[in-house]
Amino acid sequence: MECKLAVSLMHDYLDDDLPELQQRELKEHLLSCPDCRAKFKELEQTDMLMFSLMHQNAVASDDLVSRIMDSLPKPKKERAFITWIKRHPALTAASVFLLVMLMSSVTFWNQDQQLVVRGSDLDQVVIQGDTVIVPSGKTITGNLTVENGKTQVYGEVNGNVTVIDGTLYKASTAHISGQVKSIDQAVSWLWYKVTNMFSEVAYR
Amino acid sequence: MEGRLTKLALKGDQRAFAELVELYKDKIYHLAYRMLNNRHEAEDIVQETFLRVYRNLDRYDDKQKFSTWIYRIGTNLCIDRLRKRKPTYSLDAEMNDQEGIDGYSMIPSDNVTPETELLLSETQRVIYEAIDSLPVKYRSVMILRYLQDLSLQEISDVLGMPVTTIKTRVHRGREFLRKKLGPKM
Ligand SMILES: [Zn+2]
Repeated sequence: MECKLAVSLMHDYLDDDLPELQQRELKEHLLSCPDCRAKFKELEQTDMLMFSLMHQNAVASDDLVSRIMDSLPKPKKERAFITWIKRHPALTAASVFLLVMLMSSVTFWNQDQQLVVRGSDLDQVVIQGDTVIVPSGKTITGNLTVENGKTQVYGEVNGNVTVIDGTLYKASTAHISGQVKSIDQAVSWLWYKVTNMFSEVAYR
Repeated sequence: MEGRLTKLALKGDQRAFAELVELYKDKIYHLAYRMLNNRHEAEDIVQETFLRVYRNLDRYDDKQKFSTWIYRIGTNLCIDRLRKRKPTYSLDAEMNDQEGIDGYSMIPSDNVTPETELLLSETQRVIYEAIDSLPVKYRSVMILRYLQDLSLQEISDVLGMPVTTIKTRVHRGREFLRKKLGPKM
């Protein structure tokens, strides 16, 4: 075997790419040729040194992962629901609807600290800062709902009064014909949403 | 496992993607750091690689290995960056590298005594210098072969070149390194 061929076979051998028959031929040549033997030893050592580098891990900054995650384009909020629904195709449209409603209620409850007043006869109420007042002598026809605020009733409400995450003051002059509900916690808030939704659906 | 994670990530699961990042960030960083010889640039490459992976998740074909795909993206970004460098820049990079090899970027995997550590880091320095003096087309092949432990076939998939070409480059690269390291071994 010529030395040139032997060198080529050495590389193949190190690449784990030399058939057994040729391995034996190479071995024979190495036994008879000191130059090639020396060269093979060097190549083998180079190979081993290079592989040993594999176990030396270069370490990136600790915050690299968070930087990567932060740099990703953010999926839109609605998409989360869509993907969630896609992943659970077994759910019926109705239950998905209910779930989406519940989920949006949770975010609503967590995030919205603004005063919200709902009712059918709102021009009768007086709003001062975060306080909603039904003045004495005035009459509200229909329900009144106040979120994240103080409610003071001196007059008359011909309907339900619901206070969510807030306080209710009922003066002695007050008259509320419907139910009075005070809701302070996320759970009951959800419950309120759900029952409300069902009754709304039922009345339609 | 990567196939499952990419599918979840494609559906918008950020945690699945974060898991992919955890699995591959060090590998890509190691690759980029050895290719570019610069810590900041290497981190840029890692970030850019994952951004591209994220944007192209829908184009990932799970018949090919995820590692092949991400190495291709990372290697191409490194090669692009090397091409854009001005010739003088590589000199700066070599200077930067001195600081890099001296130890704190490399963590030996085994517990070693200070003496062997010194010897290890000295050997490392010599090898890294040798790798850095390799022409780019050999450098990428040798880094994929040894630092990432890819087979010749996988390197051929990553670089989109015939296996025979990869083979020739590994042989020449190994000869080159042998000559550089020879006197020191
Ligand atoms: Zn010979």
